Amino acid sequence: MLAKRIQPLASQAKRLYVELMFQVMGRALQAVSEVDSEVQKEAQALPEGFLFEMMVMPDGSKLIVEYIGDGRFHYHGDSAPRPVDVSIKFKHLTHAFLVLSFQEKTSVAFANDRMLVDGDVSYAVRMTRVLNRLESFILPRIVAERAVKEYPADLHLPEKLISAAQIYLKIATHFVQTVRA
Amino acid sequence: MSNTYYEFFCPVKVIAGKAALEHIPYELSGLAAKRPMIVTDKGVRAAGLLDPVIAACEESGLEIVTIYDDVPPDSSTTVVRDIAGVYRKEKCDSIIAIGGGSAIDTGKAVNILVSEGGNDIAKYTGAGVLKRPLKPFLVVPTTAGTGSEVTSIAVITDEKKGVKLPFTSSYLLPNAAVIDPRMTLTLPPHITAATAMDAMTHAVESFTCMAKNPLSDAYAAAAIKKVSRSLLQVMDNSKDSDARLELAQASTMAGIAFSNSMVGLVHSLGHATGAICHLPHGLCMSLFLPYVLEYNLETIREPLGELLLHLEGPEIYAATPASRRAEASISALRKLRDALYKRCQLPRTLKETGKVTEDQLDQIAEMALDDGSIMFNPKEVTLKDARAVLQRAWA
Repeated sequence: MLAKRIQPLASQAKRLYVELMFQVMGRALQAVSEVDSEVQKEAQALPEGFLFEMMVMPDGSKLIVEYIGDGRFHYHGDSAPRPVDVSIKFKHLTHAFLVLSFQEKTSVAFANDRMLVDGDVSYAVRMTRVLNRLESFILPRIVAERAVKEYPADLHLPEKLISAAQIYLKIATHFVQTVRA
Repeated sequence: MSNTYYEFFCPVKVIAGKAALEHIPYELSGLAAKRPMIVTDKGVRAAGLLDPVIAACEESGLEIVTIYDDVPPDSSTTVVRDIAGVYRKEKCDSIIAIGGGSAIDTGKAVNILVSEGGNDIAKYTGAGVLKRPLKPFLVVPTTAGTGSEVTSIAVITDEKKGVKLPFTSSYLLPNAAVIDPRMTLTLPPHITAATAMDAMTHAVESFTCMAKNPLSDAYAAAAIKKVSRSLLQVMDNSKDSDARLELAQASTMAGIAFSNSMVGLVHSLGHATGAICHLPHGLCMSLFLPYVLEYNLETIREPLGELLLHLEGPEIYAATPASRRAEASISALRKLRDALYKRCQLPRTLKETGKVTEDQLDQIAEMALDDGSIMFNPKEVTLKDARAVLQRAWA
């Protein structure tokens, strides 16, 4: 009886958590592209105006970023100005929650068929590398190791701390700007 | 490395063995098909491989309405549109694809157009676009390697845009795959070797990459055992129809395995090398397999060690200490490559191919990094790592 009452609340909590994480990740993608030269190098292979989406099927939370050139991403929130080029779709809210709460690595989620790629797979692979790089920066190593296939051996603490601080500052600023707007 | 969740799907009826072709009329009648079209290439026709299929159908009173035998090695959207036109003109109601990967992929793409309508196959590119079953479709492979008869993907080149269009849907799978040893008997030695190594690589990567699962493992292990036991027999006696059948079955089993558990870095490097240097896919697989296994070694030590049983048999497996089995599996594959080099000069290094230059390795590494299969490689691969593997495979 109690479990039945709790279930909708748990489901709602998962939904809110996934939505919040998408908002953080979207802003963090924009921020990391302003901070990290490796991410900028990865992004430069994308066509300008390229729209990338991560979403929960069938019509759940989503994040949309656009490559605006010069290695930079722009976060569009959850609405795209035109049809997206590549979409990574979680088949269910629970699958998104598993990945975004770092209980399942992104690569494992792909292997477990939790997600679908709609669009050019090579761009999806590139965006996954960018996401991995982002997670390695902004998460404590012990958590990042649960999120990425392999924690980058060449990412040392001073670089990580400085970059993470810059990214978090930019995320916070973006959140404040959004609230003010 | 075992997977806590997996999916496995293969609804293709496999019809394998002696006189398998003679089952085609019965299978088509079971699908209410009376006017089949054959899709194939000129090489298959010239080798006389259509004759037993046509004879098998005629003996059962089934007329092959038309034959399209001009499928090129890299099939295109124009070819698919033309074949669909012939199909409609001749009022066909089913397709029999006979050949290697290209003819089979073309058959799958034609089936989309003739079932869904229209002339623009590009409209159906991507995953999950098809929502209903297509026309009756049978596949008769004439190589033992690609496994295309049991995979739900087709790749067709859009020659106007210069891109390869992928089509993915379980509806692309044929109703039946007909594996008859007569169809691979005339395969030349170097193609036999390269395509068998393609099947071997499908199975080994399926068994060692991230999406491995108990069901695909069973198919992969059985395929590895069959290739290990039969490939050199066929190389020594190309008319050994029993060993040919073993290879053909191994190819299908490896196809079932990898279409349910995906492949890894060998394929990423192979796709890139094939695109840049125009080397055959099977040869690329044979070239990179041991070097990639060495790269992945510490991540895949346990499953790779298990494979020694299927590669070398129980005596050698039992005599090898558990801690050395993974290395022994790689040695077994190197030994097989050496034996193939001795028999048909199948290159073992990029340099031996004579078609790759060392200054192309950077470009290959960069392209490999964006290949979809790299997602399923058990070890993360950086540009530097890919370049290092290529360097080891160079000479």
